[in-house]
Amino acid sequence: MKYLLLLVGCLGWAVISTAQPNCNLYKTPGNDSCYQACVLATSGFGAQGSMFSQMRFQRAIQMCPTLDYAYMEKAVPYLKRGDWAEWRPLIDKAVALNPKAHLGYRAWCRYQFLHDYEGTLDDLGRLDTLFHGADIGYGVNGDYHLNVTRGLCYKALGQKEKAIQTIEAQLARKGYSPMMFDYLHLGVLKWEMGDPDAAIECFRRSIEINDYLAEAYYYMALAYKDKGEPIAFKRNMEQAKDYYTRNRHTSDPYTHHADRIFLADIERHLK
Amino acid sequence: MTQYAKPIVLFLALASLGQGCRSALDRKETAQAPLLRHVGDTAFDPKLDDPNFKVCNPERAQQYYAFDGLRYEGEKPKIEAHFRNRFKNKPKKGESGWLTIRFVVNCEGQTGWFRVKGVDKLYQPKKFDASIEQQLLALTKTLNGWMVGLNDAGQAFDYYQYLTFKLEDGRLLEILP
Repeated sequence: MKYLLLLVGCLGWAVISTAQPNCNLYKTPGNDSCYQACVLATSGFGAQGSMFSQMRFQRAIQMCPTLDYAYMEKAVPYLKRGDWAEWRPLIDKAVALNPKAHLGYRAWCRYQFLHDYEGTLDDLGRLDTLFHGADIGYGVNGDYHLNVTRGLCYKALGQKEKAIQTIEAQLARKGYSPMMFDYLHLGVLKWEMGDPDAAIECFRRSIEINDYLAEAYYYMALAYKDKGEPIAFKRNMEQAKDYYTRNRHTSDPYTHHADRIFLADIERHLK
Repeated sequence: MTQYAKPIVLFLALASLGQGCRSALDRKETAQAPLLRHVGDTAFDPKLDDPNFKVCNPERAQQYYAFDGLRYEGEKPKIEAHFRNRFKNKPKKGESGWLTIRFVVNCEGQTGWFRVKGVDKLYQPKKFDASIEQQLLALTKTLNGWMVGLNDAGQAFDYYQYLTFKLEDGRLLEILP
């Protein structure tokens, strides 16, 4: 029995974590080179970004120039290491070959790594057209629905009303479950637009969903400050500091989230 | 069937773990190969680099994200203040895009091997105006709060770090990551 449970657990992990194509899709008459290229590209040998790994993807592309997965994977280390000039042509090729699979991903990467807000909005607009109003899906790191990302782009471009409408529309979408940071960002927008009561309600919702963020308490403190409630301000700001010093805040190994706060921000308010 | 069940289950379990580890976008670096064998690797250039800067163990250099992100004393606000207080915006039409400076933080927290690469708003390679590039490079070199990259066992590693400066007509808009 314990071996069966081990098998089920490991297979489940594999299903959740892999984003690789099913190479059997290429197993059609006359398409053996693409099947072999897919097997090579998904073989997983070599550390990401190593010459060995990159050569593997390049070989797969030579064997099958339409293997979009290989272009996308070859692009990844350039993205993570800040080489935008090398990243972009590779991901563009993947998008050209399979826009439904890779356009949302490119949009997210432009937002997360480059803060290319206009570019992200362009890509998301194209994605809307491709999906004909159906769900365009989530950013690749699983933190955001792409419509919330769209809202954050509007915010960054100074279009805060549109940002609020966009995020609220996504939250109201049938069958949608709010993600970890949705209400945090909506609350910050409400606070920035001068509606501290609505902001506090959003931060409370955020805490209900994910009580692991110093940011929720920090911004709630600022909203209480605007309402002229110093006791609630201090209580929440101190809670923010406690959480922050225990590493309970938004975090990502590659970049910083929107509305990210730092210890210096908290301490400035507690002086 | 019973005598084969255990080895089959163990084999499938190990194969599945391997499959899980190959998730392209979240696997950690395990840079076992020497420098020059990875995307973004840099080699000492006597024309550009300080000969006194030493990479402690070139064969095991990591990337900044192996240590859970940008690590600087005072965090990102300190970096932003460094540039905000010193960078002189020189408005110049067309000087827009992203200028990236990539460098090594060694096992003692010192920095070196700075390399500059720019792209325009269409992600095409771009050589930014010398006054902008030189300012940003000089200011990056004077950042002195980089934290040492430590693994869970407390071993110090060299790591590659980059800063990307988002520019619009010569004005510095944002610093990434």
